[in-house]
Amino acid sequence: MNGWYPIFLREMLLFKRKLFKLGYLFSAMVVPVIYLITFGLGVGRSMPIEGTDYITFLIPGLVAMSSMTNSYTWVASALNLNRLYFKTFQVLVQAPINPFAIMIGEVLAGMTKGLFASILIITVGLLVAPQFHLSWLPALTLILNCFLFACLGVIVGMITKSHEDTSTYNNFLIMPMSFFSGTFFPVSRMPEFLQKLIAIFPLTHTNILIRKSAMDSQGLLALAVLIAYAIVFFFFGSRLIRKYSE
Amino acid sequence: MISVTDLTRKFGAKAALSGVSFSVGAKEIYAYLGPNGAGKTTTIRILTSLTRRDGGMVRLNSFDIEKNPLEAKSQFGLVPQQTNLDSDLSVEENLLIHGLLHHMDRKTIRRKIEELLDYMELSDRRQSLIKTLSGGLKRRLLISRALLHSPRILFMDEPTVGLDPAIRRSIWGFIKKIRNDGATIFLTTHYIEEAEFLADHVAFLDAGKIVAEDSPANLVSGIGQWAVDYLDDNRLQTAFFNSREKAGSYVLNRANGCTVRRVNLEDAFIAMTGRKIS
Repeated sequence: MNGWYPIFLREMLLFKRKLFKLGYLFSAMVVPVIYLITFGLGVGRSMPIEGTDYITFLIPGLVAMSSMTNSYTWVASALNLNRLYFKTFQVLVQAPINPFAIMIGEVLAGMTKGLFASILIITVGLLVAPQFHLSWLPALTLILNCFLFACLGVIVGMITKSHEDTSTYNNFLIMPMSFFSGTFFPVSRMPEFLQKLIAIFPLTHTNILIRKSAMDSQGLLALAVLIAYAIVFFFFGSRLIRKYSE
Repeated sequence: MISVTDLTRKFGAKAALSGVSFSVGAKEIYAYLGPNGAGKTTTIRILTSLTRRDGGMVRLNSFDIEKNPLEAKSQFGLVPQQTNLDSDLSVEENLLIHGLLHHMDRKTIRRKIEELLDYMELSDRRQSLIKTLSGGLKRRLLISRALLHSPRILFMDEPTVGLDPAIRRSIWGFIKKIRNDGATIFLTTHYIEEAEFLADHVAFLDAGKIVAEDSPANLVSGIGQWAVDYLDDNRLQTAFFNSREKAGSYVLNRANGCTVRRVNLEDAFIAMTGRKIS
């Protein structure tokens, strides 16, 4: 199963090259920082929410959103391009390594990129909201969130038939999750019928868990849902790799 | 050794391969010759585990590609038709990743990189990013990558397609050298002269079927030794002769515009299928 390492190493070498380009850091931070300024420092400046000031409520949500988009997008986009255009994914399929190893390598690389982007937002959050802090439970949630969305990235990267298709998944999956899953306001403020729909989104459960400082029954349920999603996405992604045929 | 029995593959209703069987012995260069769309790339994709077969059996050095996929995959190196190197990584990084994918230790990888870059005359480009290399250098690197883990079988899918004649000749030299060093080589091509220069055995593939398989000399011998190309009613025709003298006297009896040349594999292919290769 150690075949995951060269895949992870390859992604990290490519990531290292991108990291030294200003454009990467900018693109990883720009959207959450715009949200932070618009909603946190602008619209919600004097709006307390769930017993705290709005910016302290918002930052964990932005961290969750950022970890989701970065873990997911990097994997989905890279895998799709590598499979359809650069044909470098085929090198992995033709190498004597287990399909699970390919999955693990891709997911670990996606998680690393997601966690890196999250750390950038956490750093900004600590600067603008001194009350904000990160305990073990949100940290664990963040890792789990990166894992499951990197797995989802593999699935989308494997099933899309063109690079343009990935933006369809962004528009119908990632974008609604970003806005409706409790990133900017509590889900309880939504109409009841929508709350049931929103409860399907994994990010909703990440947002519940990431704002908890101690585990309770609601947190346990959210954790169970996230773990279930992670397992299903991981095995489905692995199956797509195992069944890959041109 | 490569053993293929009754290989079939359909894409929708279209049969890409219909009952293809052949075997390639150790240290042999086997050329798979056919026009575009004949099924050459589909065959190589199945043999290298990229495309699933519908029926038949493939064994690489006695390992069945479906029953023992990891063992079968470790038997071969592949030079693909399309360059699939990581363009933002260096020559050395591309080779390092490939070596690790083939479970080689770093010390052995470094030694093999040294050897192969020297062998392929790429030593001075080891730190260069792939995107800065010319087409010919990339192709040499693809061959180096395919050889890194010392495979006993080398698959080459149109190894010189799109390259200028001088680079093509130098790559032919490398292919001969690799065979002389002990590898079995399976190559697909639609270049007649490539198959004639390199191959010990040639298979003619047409519409997903092998229509003939033999040494290049035996394949052409059935139709004669010399060919005369001439225009008849504005259509290019070819007549075949067993001796140069007979070809010469045929030319004397015709109007101007005849060309006398040696018979080649394309002539044999046309004689068997009624179609051109390229």
